[in-house]
This record gives sequence, structure tokens and C-alpha cells, in this order.
Amino acid sequence: RRSTSPESVSPHILCSFSSCSSWLPQRVPLRGSHWQSSVLTPRTSLPVRAQPKKKKKVDVRKEQAQKDRMKKKLKKLEKAPLELIPIEDFVTPLKYSDSSRVRSLPPLSPEETERRALLLKKWCLFKQKQDEAEKKAIQSLVESQQEALKELRLESEELYQAAILRDEGLFPFERDGPSYTPPIPGYDPPEGKCVDITKVYTQ
Amino acid sequence: AAASRRPWRLFGAMCLLRLPRITQPLEKEEEEMAALMGQIELEKSHYSDHEIRKLGEEEQLKRRKEGLYDDDDEAPGKTVIMAQDLEDKWEQKFLQFQAAPRITDADKNNNRTSLNRKLDSNLMLLVKQKIGNQELWLLPQVEWQPGETLRNTAERAMAMFLGDDIQAKILGNAPYGIYKYKFPRAIRTEDNVGAKVFFFKAFLQSSDLSQTQPKADYLWVTKNELGDYLKLEYLKKVNRFLLD
Repeated sequence: RRSTSPESVSPHILCSFSSCSSWLPQRVPLRGSHWQSSVLTPRTSLPVRAQPKKKKKVDVRKEQAQKDRMKKKLKKLEKAPLELIPIEDFVTPLKYSDSSRVRSLPPLSPEETERRALLLKKWCLFKQKQDEAEKKAIQSLVESQQEALKELRLESEELYQAAILRDEGLFPFERDGPSYTPPIPGYDPPEGKCVDITKVYTQ
Repeated sequence: AAASRRPWRLFGAMCLLRLPRITQPLEKEEEEMAALMGQIELEKSHYSDHEIRKLGEEEQLKRRKEGLYDDDDEAPGKTVIMAQDLEDKWEQKFLQFQAAPRITDADKNNNRTSLNRKLDSNLMLLVKQKIGNQELWLLPQVEWQPGETLRNTAERAMAMFLGDDIQAKILGNAPYGIYKYKFPRAIRTEDNVGAKVFFFKAFLQSSDLSQTQPKADYLWVTKNELGDYLKLEYLKKVNRFLLD
């Protein structure tokens, strides 16, 4: 809203709140306003009343204040805690809680419970022995390696230093585990398409 | 400065392992436990959709047999696929599939040079080498030369016996074991007391070795069969770093 009157002094450009006329007693601070301290500078445009202008300004300011309030409210809403993604494994679908689905089996006989308890104890012992054997094997491996490194150190320091360097190419180490039957040589798997129907949630 | 020559000669040896391809058979306790776990899971479960359908159809069949007809329920002539039929169809399809046998031909012939033997355990490479004036079965070893690390020596040993294009993943730069021995008194000198053999471990990754021309007699054996070939002291040291 720059002043267009030819007689007006150029410092109006600095004052962006001024409306069409060149001369205004304003509450808003004018930057180059020392040029206009005199009230007697000639009015060159139509004498527009101050009142409607104030309304516009106040309106503008009110609108802006409203907009800011709305923005703040939106931000507050956005800051609300994010909806947690439901874990589908933990939520039992309601159709499976139906009583018609409950399996009807004969109750366990006391011999059966006895057998189960004894089997669990035997399993516990078996696993303990297995675990101890594994730990012993690992211990022996570590000891063997330490002995080898000790001997190597006695032999040559530089070989030892080369030996204790970290092997960068070792990890990440990937290997396919064993299967129940070996792969059939020359097997041609049938063609097919796999459609992924997992539900993807966004927060 | 002149490096003082140690009286021990250094060798690098490679223990090349072919990892198992199939699972080991379950022990008796493991089988019993697996059966029990299955039973408990069955008891704690509810009926699935397929089972409910099956039960419903069995009820319908029973009702039809007993003569209680529901004429408006299903029109005659309409073929309905029963859950039992589906199960039979699936069973047939399963029986048509022939899996590869777990016990291979090499197992039956006890062909110890083949890699297809004993698919459920680790196989190790043994070669026949001349040490001194004896031919011995050993893990492939080669003498260390100055300027290379011991790991390179072991790789060289492997390449020497199996060719350059063999792919193996060596587990680290450090040796896994050591076997020290003194030369017999006839050969022993001030500078040449004995030898130290450092073992390295590697996993074989190339699955097909038919292209390689081995330079010497070789065998692939399991840990239990090592005793048939290796000398006692050597075997003791090797067994320490073999997990089976």
C-alpha cells in the first residue's frame, strides 16, 4: 500500500502500515517519520476518515489473532500422544472366544499326570547335561586358543599382533540352517505368486 | 638388527569344516518331550474354522443317515465339498512328493572321499603328507614363510591341496590350537629343535568340489572318525577346538 501521490515524500515506503493517503497521524511508529512531524504538510489525497481505517486495521489484527489461536489449537491437538499401533498377535479376535469353540476332551487320568511330571523332570536333567557339555566344549576351545596365542607370542611378536587383529570380514556372518531332508538336485519349484496381506498402520 | 632365529619351525594348518546340511535325529527324551508339548498344545487350544466345519458336516451326515431329512436345507443334486474330502486331497498331494533321502549313497558305500556323506555332522578335510620320512594323515599344513601372516599360511595350505578357487570363511585371524613337537634326535640341531603347527578353522562355502583336482590323498571325516587316522597326541590337540 504505497502512497501514489506525486507530491508525497518518499520515506513513506518505509512505513508499510500506511494506507493510501500520504499523511496520517498514526499510532504505529513511522521509521522515517521525522519528515512528517509537521502537521502542515498539504493533504493531497481525499480526506479519508480515520475511523473506517482503524476498523480495518483492528479487523486485520483480530483476524490474525484468531488465526494464531486456531494454529495454536491445531498444534496442541497434534501434540496429543500418538495412537499406539495395535499388536495383532496379542489381540484375540472375538470370534475365537465363543464357547462353541471349546474343545471337549476327556479329563487326564492320574497316571497320565504322573507320567507327565516325571517326563518333565527327566527333560530338565537332560537339558542341564546338554548345557554343561556345551559350556565345557566352549571352555576347552577358548583355552586351546589362548594356549596357541601364548606360544605364538613366544615365537614372534609381529605375528602375534597380526593374529589378534579384528577380522572385519567375518561379521555379519550369514548361513542357512540345516533342513530335515537334503535339497533335491535339479528341483524345479512350481511357479506361484505370494500376495502380502499384512496390515500396515501409520501413526 | 639381526633377528635371533628361534629354534622352532612354524607351520600353518587349516581345519576345513563342511557344515551339516540336515538336522540331527532327535534323542529319545527329545522325542518324548516333543510329543508331550504337542499334546498339551492340543488340549489348550480351541477349535479352528476347519475343524468346526468338519464337525458340522459330520453332524449333517449323521442326521441324514438316521433319516431326519431337512429338505429345505440343501437341494438334492448339489455337490458340496466336505472338509474330509479336502483333507484326503491334501494327504494325496503330500504322498506324491518325494524328498531326497537323508542317508545318501555315499553313506551306504562308506566312501570317505565324498562330501555327500554324513549330512548331519561336520566333515573335516584330512590329507596325507610326508613329514620327515613318514607318510601321515594330517590336517593340510604348509611351512610359514617370512612376510606372511599365519592366516595366509593356512590359506596357502588349503589352496595347495584343493585349488585356488575354493571358497571358505576363515573364522578370524587368531589360531585355534597348537601342536608342538620336537624332531627326533637324529635331525635335531641347535637351530632346529622342532616344529609348531598352528591350526586355523574355516567353514567350507563352495558346495561342489568336483572341479578341483586334489594334489594328494584326501578324506572327509567326522570328529568321531578322526581317531582312525590321526596320531594320539595330535588328535588330542585337535579335539580341543572341535565342537560337535
